Amino acid sequence: MSVSIIVDNVVKKFEDTTVIDKLSLQIKPGELFTLLGPSGCGKTTLLRMIIGFNSIDGGSIRIADKEVNHIPVSKRNMGMVFQNYAIFPHMSVKDNIAFGLKNRKLGKEEMEKRINDILRVVHIEKYKDRMPDKLSGGQQQRVALARAIVIHPEVLLMDEPLSNLDAKLRVEMRNAIRSIQQQVGITTVYVTHDQEEALAISDRIAVMNGGVIQQIGTPKSIYERPANIFVSKFIGTSNVMKATLKVENGEKYIQLSDTYQEKMANLKDQAKPGGTVLVSVRPQEFMINEEKVGLKGKVIRSMFLGINTHYFIELEQGEEVEVIQDADAVELIPEGATVYLKVKPTKINVFSSEDETTLIKVGGINESK
Amino acid sequence: MKANKKPFNIWNTSTLLILCIFLLFIAFPLFLVLKKSVIDPGTGQFTFEYLSKFFERKFYWITILNSFKVTVAATLLSMVIGLPLAYMMRKVKIKGSKVIEILVIISYISPPFIGAYAWIQLLGRRGVVTEFVNNLFGTQFDGIYGFAGIVLVLSLQSFPLIYLYISGALKNLDNSLNEAAESLGYSNIQRMFKIIIPLIIPTMLASALLVFMRVIADFGTPMLIGEGYRTIPVLIYTQFMSEVGGNDGFAAALCMIFIVVTLVLFLVQRIVASRFSYSMSALKPMSVEKVKGYKNILSHAFVYFVVLLAILPQLVVTFTSFLETKGGQVYTGNFSFDNYKNILFMKNTAVIWNTYKMGIIAIIIIVVLGVLISYLTVRKKNAITNILDTVSMFPFIIPGSVLGISFIFAFSDKPFVLSGTVLIMVMSFVIRRMPYTIRSSTAIIGQISPSLEEAAISLGASETKTFRKVVVPMMMPGVMAGAIMSWITVISELSSSIILYTSGTQTLTVSIYTEVIRGNYGNASAYSAILTVTSIISLLLFFKLTGKREVSV
Ligand SMILES: Nc1ncnc2c1ncn2[C@@H]1O[C@H](COP(=O)(O)OP(=O)(O)OP(=O)(O)O)[C@@H](O)[C@H]1O
Ligand SMILES: [Mg+2]
Repeated sequence: MSVSIIVDNVVKKFEDTTVIDKLSLQIKPGELFTLLGPSGCGKTTLLRMIIGFNSIDGGSIRIADKEVNHIPVSKRNMGMVFQNYAIFPHMSVKDNIAFGLKNRKLGKEEMEKRINDILRVVHIEKYKDRMPDKLSGGQQQRVALARAIVIHPEVLLMDEPLSNLDAKLRVEMRNAIRSIQQQVGITTVYVTHDQEEALAISDRIAVMNGGVIQQIGTPKSIYERPANIFVSKFIGTSNVMKATLKVENGEKYIQLSDTYQEKMANLKDQAKPGGTVLVSVRPQEFMINEEKVGLKGKVIRSMFLGINTHYFIELEQGEEVEVIQDADAVELIPEGATVYLKVKPTKINVFSSEDETTLIKVGGINESK
Repeated sequence: MKANKKPFNIWNTSTLLILCIFLLFIAFPLFLVLKKSVIDPGTGQFTFEYLSKFFERKFYWITILNSFKVTVAATLLSMVIGLPLAYMMRKVKIKGSKVIEILVIISYISPPFIGAYAWIQLLGRRGVVTEFVNNLFGTQFDGIYGFAGIVLVLSLQSFPLIYLYISGALKNLDNSLNEAAESLGYSNIQRMFKIIIPLIIPTMLASALLVFMRVIADFGTPMLIGEGYRTIPVLIYTQFMSEVGGNDGFAAALCMIFIVVTLVLFLVQRIVASRFSYSMSALKPMSVEKVKGYKNILSHAFVYFVVLLAILPQLVVTFTSFLETKGGQVYTGNFSFDNYKNILFMKNTAVIWNTYKMGIIAIIIIVVLGVLISYLTVRKKNAITNILDTVSMFPFIIPGSVLGISFIFAFSDKPFVLSGTVLIMVMSFVIRRMPYTIRSSTAIIGQISPSLEEAAISLGASETKTFRKVVVPMMMPGVMAGAIMSWITVISELSSSIILYTSGTQTLTVSIYTEVIRGNYGNASAYSAILTVTSIISLLLFFKLTGKREVSV
């Protein structure tokens, strides 16, 4: 039985500085929910408020509609996977995993069964009797995960669990975590500052900055329709350019240069003609063409990566943009060549130049208010 | 971690309990020393009489000068021996270097007064070497007593500490720093002065100050080999002994003066330690190299000679313990087990068991208090644990003889009559060792990530259970190692035991001392041999436990 987590207007102060001010979010039963944001934005702080290592200085946190503000950590029944694993070095793998169970007055057989089950789930049956210092980083990670979920917690919390692993293992372990989470079906809060990891693993992501939630949504919606410039730059690569908004015959256009404009069908009504807007274009949302339409620019550097090619292009109006072209597209464009760039109007994002929030209409995929 | 709201949880209760113990055994005795040194017991008035008495007569104030002279000389000499030894052992491949390390450590852990006594047997008035030299050259050499004797014994006893510290620092010195300097065109000698020495200066200062503190507070050595050359601890002891029952205001004043001296040294040490420190950890430590020719020979000669000198006292006492004596005083030249028969069957063997029994009780208390206090001060920080932390460091500046006297002041009268009991001896050991234990336990806790405790709590364990099941077992190896080192120092303790003991609580060290004073060298050697063997076995146990050939000081 999975539970929901409701974080309602919580406040966290360290001495006099308020790190989190009235933050709210709702996590659905059984989902893998990721807190994503740059270092120091308060992810760990929020996670530790959920489990109870940090006190809550305002607002409330409810698990399955029951407020937990004053329940001590040891009674909250949450599993946590720590960044440094926190495997007890003086206990074998099995004893580590059994540690939480021993508090739960289970029969001996039941306990054995649970331990063996979880060892199988995380694929470390072989290492049952080993001491932790004889395990690799990835294996320790699995022990930490097993120890946290074997107690059948209502909620699983993970704080940058993969940051101590090398790149290859990180990919392997994130797949493992995802599949184990799905198998167990437990509501999970996952903290990371790695946007690629967040996109790969999550059902939904909350992007945070400076203690404030910027956007909550599925990986796809956050990537494709960022709520503001911060999110658009933090997730993936974005080229941000200035443009002017125009209306002709009731249709809205963005004017990207003196000679180039695109019709936009999905702009909000509040987008007023004549004003400056910020246009965010992902590298693959540019199209290089030879018909001499679009933004004029010069190739200053190119990177052939096999699967595609990255070009760094200096535009006539001065900005440098990154453009990706699929490998199957014709030939490599030499450095120094003049090219013309068009954008894909259905893909690109437009933001207000005043508050940097999106001007794209909510299309049912964007949950942010 | 979430603050526990209940005012009387187990942590607060233990904090208060420990604080009471400290108030009774540290603050209260110290307060009495202070009070007695400035209050006239007859009138109850404030007086400077006792303090000024010290500065009025040369007979008294010369002891400060004497103390500083021997301490400065011994510290410098131990640097002169310890530094090159450490460097050579790290840089040059010395045959048998593992054994040498152990021998150095053994000489470090044995009490200095055994050194004094052994050197008297060699270079004293009727010493073997003295007589040999006098016969050979027809000289009238009268033995090495006074200043020279004290400095000889204390430097040989102290250079191992310098060696251990510097050797540790050199091990943490990344050789790539050296290589970088080399690649930038620095010669061997230049690198020594530009890289190595500056980097180990903090360690040099720190270890020199530690030696300084130990040497200045040492009582046994100047007492045995000093003869007329009196240092502060000697003066304090003799004054106190001659005034028992009478007016102890002057002894208290001496204690105060001594505390001020050690306090200043302690503060200097603190400042030095905070001003100079680099955090180093070597990815690639300096490696020992085989050297050839005269350098190789000189290095070996130096190292072997120094280590021989250092370990000589242990060899001498062990050897002489098997010599037959006439009337306990004059060696006949034959081997026998008489000395051991004497101390094991003819005399009261209680001194041996006393030493072990009181030592073990003290160690248990030290371990329990040390673990608790360090946990409280690191993980349960609050105003009271801060006080605890500060008070527990006081004994650093209380020399053994001062502690002994303050205990006599505090526990001879109602309401706390403890004099002559096992408890007062045990507590003096506990208090003297407390700061070291807390320092090392605090370091051990510092290495345990708080997330381990959080993991246990998140798995449903209570805080006390987490402490028992996670914190304590993880601290145990380090704490046990520390306990063995404490044990070795406790059984070698003389300066406060000599003041606090009664016939029922006499220890090995006190027996050695009194036998030497009476001239019963045979028995003294046998007692010393037992003490030395106990220390060596404990040390080997320590090595086994830590899996390393190193000691922490
Ligand atoms: N115990 C504390 N006392 C005071 N300030 C704190 C404390 N813990 C965290 N902070 C502050 O709160 C802010 C958020 O910290 P937090 O650890 O939650 O960041 P984070 O998002 O987890 O960062 P990272 O990705 O680097 O782990 C930081 O500015 C930090 O300095
Ligand atoms: Mg963090």
